[in-house]
Amino acid sequence: MLEGLVSQESLSLNSMDMSVLERLKWVHQQQQQLQQVVSHSSNNSPELLQILQFHGSNNDELLESSFSQFQMLGSGFGPNYNMGFGPPHECISRTSSCHMEPVDTMEVLLKTGEETRAIALKNKRKPEVKTREEQKTEKKIKVEAETESSMKGKSNMGNTEASSDTSKETSKGASENQKLDYIHVRARRGQATDRHSLAERARREKISKKMKYLQDIVPGCNKVTGKAGMLDEIINYVQCLQRQVEFLSMKLAVLNPELELAVEDVSVKQFQAYFANVVASKQSIMVDVPLFPLDQQGSLDLSAINPNQTTSIEAPSASWETQSQSLYNTSSLGFHY
Amino acid sequence: MASADKLINTDVPEKDVFALHFLQSLSNLRTQSPLNSPNKSIDRVRKIKKAAYVSMARAAGGTSRLWSRALLRRAAKDDNKSVRFSRRKRKVTWKISSKRKRSNQRAPVVEEAAERLRNLVPGGGGMETSKLMEETAHYIKCLSMQVKVMQCLVDGLSQK
Repeated sequence: MLEGLVSQESLSLNSMDMSVLERLKWVHQQQQQLQQVVSHSSNNSPELLQILQFHGSNNDELLESSFSQFQMLGSGFGPNYNMGFGPPHECISRTSSCHMEPVDTMEVLLKTGEETRAIALKNKRKPEVKTREEQKTEKKIKVEAETESSMKGKSNMGNTEASSDTSKETSKGASENQKLDYIHVRARRGQATDRHSLAERARREKISKKMKYLQDIVPGCNKVTGKAGMLDEIINYVQCLQRQVEFLSMKLAVLNPELELAVEDVSVKQFQAYFANVVASKQSIMVDVPLFPLDQQGSLDLSAINPNQTTSIEAPSASWETQSQSLYNTSSLGFHY
Repeated sequence: MASADKLINTDVPEKDVFALHFLQSLSNLRTQSPLNSPNKSIDRVRKIKKAAYVSMARAAGGTSRLWSRALLRRAAKDDNKSVRFSRRKRKVTWKISSKRKRSNQRAPVVEEAAERLRNLVPGGGGMETSKLMEETAHYIKCLSMQVKVMQCLVDGLSQK
């Protein structure tokens, strides 16, 4: 009987994947065997009675209580050992392991108790884990709903399911970092998750991004806050610039007739040729240095030239320096100083 | 905002390009009607203004930008000239009305301002608000560049 108990115990404790039912069965068997042991023993020690009472109680607390009781048993039997408490001591020593000292039995009992405790804790953890998984599934469904609503018809279920297998945080990150052609938007707490509102929000964020960019360009936009004020400023600025263009063109028109008289056809042709040469040669334009006090000098962007222009683009061999000098000499346009 | 610059491409060529184009257009102006010599200053002003805009549109990237394209088309229509456009996906104007029907929740404040912007920026009629913002940004940059060029020109002329 006791050997069977030992074998069962060793088996059960070694295989940690034992189901709860099997563990309970094992505990019951232990109970029965303990009862038998107790009945066989000469002394009905109070500790054993307590054990039996405890065994009748809840099974979840059973193992922990049994552990404590085992401890008590060990302590109880320790001093009693010398009093000739033979059979229980023997059975306990045999339950723990064969031929062990009483001191060692305590340790072994503790160890077994720890294992049982671990099992008990694991049992407790399982329902906890289950609830957590349930929460995860809830959130999984939410995530799926959100991503589904943010999708525009493309089947994304596979991806969301795959991501939900991971932990909560990684599922969040995975759904956000999924690289698809569509924009991922996470619904904030208490906001609608239907497709239209999500698309609206995405659109509004795009617009606000672009407004921020405009804010950097338009001077004096930083002081005004709010979309309306900023937009008003921007519109004002555009109107200002357009007015400036008109004003300057008026000024030019006033100034221009003075030059038109001085313009000769030859110089105009030279002018055109000069420009053509500058266009053809990919050198940086230093032309503006003698002509205008422009600050920036850069290479010419040839792609900007419209091919529909009437001027023929030919590359004369003469360097542009000589041509600029010729322009200087003619001074027909009077652009230089 | 460095990150925004990567998203929105509003690269504007240097001043030289604008200057080049403007001077070219001015010279074309002179060659167009040297004999007529219209005394009415308004016409000349209008011509110069138009030349300024057209040159700006050309300098900014020809037909690659919506606003420049619309500008050029407008100018060509006045002169009864035809403008050649590269084959592109053309956004049709009715697209906006259909989008508006779907959801009237678009921020009315933004939409009001967008309407005003559309009137200002050439080619704004057929654009979505977000695209409009991009075009406005590029348009503002080009306009400021053109203004600088013209200012320099005027200064150079007036100093002489």
